[in-house]
Amino acid sequence: MGKIVGIDLGTTNSLVAYVDAQTGEPKCIPGPSGSTLCPSVVSLDPDGSIIVGEPARRRLLTQPERSIYSVKRLMGRGPSDVQSELKLFPFRIDPASKNVIRVQLGDKVFTPPEISSFILRELKNWAESYFGEPVGRAVITVPAYFNDAQRQATKDAGKLAGLEVLRLVNEPTAAALAYGLHEKPAAAGGKVAVYDLGGGTFDISVLKLISTGEGDIYQVLSTNGDTHLGGDDIDNLLQAFVHEQILQTDQIDFSPHGELAQELRKALIDIKHQLSETTSATLRFPLPNGNVFVREFTRGALEALIRLVVERTMVPVKLALADAQLKPNELDEVVLVGGTTRTPMIRRTVQEFFDRKPHTELNPDEVVALGAAVQANILDQGVKNMLLLDVTPLSLGIETYGGAVAKAIPRNSTIPASAQELYTTGVDNQTGIDIHVLQGERELAKDCRSLARFTLRVPPAPAGLPRIEVKFLIDANGILQVAAKDLRNGQQHIIEVQPSYGLNDADIERMLEESIEYAEQDFAERQVIEARTEAESILTATAKALANPQAAQLPATERQTVDAGVAALREAVKGSDYKLIRQQIDELNRATEHLAELLMNTAVQTALEGKKLAEV
Amino acid sequence: MATPLHTTNPPLACWNCHERTIGTHFCPGCGKLLQLPQGSDYFAMFELPRKLWIEMGALEQKFLQLSWKLHPDNFVGATEQEREISLQRSSELNDAYRTLRDPIARVEYLLAIEGTRKNGENKQQAPPELLEEVFELNESLDELREAKADGSDTALLRCRLEDAEKNFEEKQNEVDGLLQSKAREWDAAIDASAQEAARKKIMAQLNELLNRRSYIRNLVVNVQKELL
Repeated sequence: MGKIVGIDLGTTNSLVAYVDAQTGEPKCIPGPSGSTLCPSVVSLDPDGSIIVGEPARRRLLTQPERSIYSVKRLMGRGPSDVQSELKLFPFRIDPASKNVIRVQLGDKVFTPPEISSFILRELKNWAESYFGEPVGRAVITVPAYFNDAQRQATKDAGKLAGLEVLRLVNEPTAAALAYGLHEKPAAAGGKVAVYDLGGGTFDISVLKLISTGEGDIYQVLSTNGDTHLGGDDIDNLLQAFVHEQILQTDQIDFSPHGELAQELRKALIDIKHQLSETTSATLRFPLPNGNVFVREFTRGALEALIRLVVERTMVPVKLALADAQLKPNELDEVVLVGGTTRTPMIRRTVQEFFDRKPHTELNPDEVVALGAAVQANILDQGVKNMLLLDVTPLSLGIETYGGAVAKAIPRNSTIPASAQELYTTGVDNQTGIDIHVLQGERELAKDCRSLARFTLRVPPAPAGLPRIEVKFLIDANGILQVAAKDLRNGQQHIIEVQPSYGLNDADIERMLEESIEYAEQDFAERQVIEARTEAESILTATAKALANPQAAQLPATERQTVDAGVAALREAVKGSDYKLIRQQIDELNRATEHLAELLMNTAVQTALEGKKLAEV
Repeated sequence: MATPLHTTNPPLACWNCHERTIGTHFCPGCGKLLQLPQGSDYFAMFELPRKLWIEMGALEQKFLQLSWKLHPDNFVGATEQEREISLQRSSELNDAYRTLRDPIARVEYLLAIEGTRKNGENKQQAPPELLEEVFELNESLDELREAKADGSDTALLRCRLEDAEKNFEEKQNEVDGLLQSKAREWDAAIDASAQEAARKKIMAQLNELLNRRSYIRNLVVNVQKELL
């Protein structure tokens, strides 16, 4: 089964975290560069290998047509949904895409879950290198306002990355867990609002913390949000603004997604970050015509530009409070999550609205991953002192006559939740009943999100005689399951649900097979390679040391131990048992301790030689 | 057919050790989570009699207590069958709490399990004493739609509709009051183990009130939509 981790699969950055068994505290795991942030960028190398994270981010500038960022925006969406995104994002969608989007990277096409799986696989590798053992299970976070298709796509991505996804946890809920607000006496029994503005998504959740004899319960009362609102929108505004200016001053019309546009975007994101710390910042951007575009931005000017984005977040906030039947001043704690909440204007707006200073103690980039690790630990250890009761963000409905929608499970219902509907036939010998499941708050099917369509098979009978009970169930991940039962004979029907915007089981199987082509070596293989590399370097160092004249001072018995250690390590390296290699490395390290000391002393002496005492 | 007023779940056989048990959640024999017995209902799940007055604090306590036991988080490492039972049981618990917590949904549910009301039934006929007012209201709504379409002044019509909205909201409150007293009557009948005929009569009246409330509620929502 291996270790279990919590993963924040973000629009801009992704992170992996675990709970330290000794301290009981959640911790983010750093990657090879030492940073805990893995940019959610994927690039396809011309040699066919997949590059993820910081190296891929650099390729956004050099090979934009082979690289993709913000793929989370495409998860669980159909080609017609994303037309507006295409104006702003350099997604190259395969024109042959049907119900699942296919994105072109170089000469290959990938679905969004596949691209996300590359990011997850990278994080899995980070964790495996860190623990020195395999990681097989994970809790992955999703925006609270993600619909069924978006959640299913995330779960598929986990599966494609070789992870058993134990739970999808809503990001704001994870953040509340990370803050451990139940430990704060003021918050016990209190109400908490979590305002989560990330790179591409916005969520607001209202929770109630309840202490019971058995432990603490985090009960979500309501949630709302916008799955296409975030820091990206601020970047787009800045970029459009500067494009316009450059067009006027230098008559340069940026091709919207070319290298120059990517470079400018990166420069503007830097300016945006600077303006969170200082009140003015200057953009200096070299143009292809040799000019340098220079412009000073003040924080005030940025705030005027982004006012609408900030205001847009307040609509879901008000709706969530209304659903929880609370007024802004009735909240006991307010928590800010997501990198975009570093923006001073957002902090100010939230503080004024709730009339309360929000929590910002935890790193807003890390807090969601930390909470995912806490939930992973609960599921792994069966920690019985904390329980999360989350809700479904959107009402589930069934299409009825005339294209109307009958609500079956209302939004903000605690999950798991279910609803039963009874179906019968309208004409004699009718053999099928078509059912269309939707998600959303609007009254007409065409205004809601189509989740799935399926046909109930009915044996021929007079009209109205068949009685088929269909159970719609939303599980603890917020994902729909459908089951049908023939009430006349008690027989369970198997329903093949064709998701409206998602991969079916056959797609997943095929991708799992294909993914082997892109998969990096499995854990053991990577460990062997790493151990061998280390062995080579210690063997080289030892040989060099033994060649040093000072090595002659080594007593014969010690020399024998070193030689034996070298031979044993050489032997181990031939095999593929990475644990044995590591063991021999450790032994050789111990055997050469004295030798290293001798050489060290020589090195110090050499350094002192030829120097006058006074210079020492 | 007399409706049994059971307050506990009927006995069933444990799916795991096949022992017959009257345990509500876990088998006293092998400790496994039990399936919900056939014929169980939301009231039984909370070990409540089929009465309409429910103490909300106690209901919440019971909900939280059962959530600890039934939630899928407790069964992540269990067999697939147990995970499935936990999913079913905790969804039923959440459905039950959602229904019983809401006074209107609670009455609808009671009438449904007592066989007086079909699931989702809402008679859309106007109560006779409201006919005249409903007629006037519909006229004003039509006028407002027309005025909006030709872009003429709607202020006066809006004013009239706002008054009508208030009027119907008051009527809804009246119905809510009637429902409450009828619910107390039901509870008293249960306490007194009243005859089936007496109970049927109260149920029919409750059903009538629910239909009337749903009709008025629809009117209010329609007016609110036009006024937006």
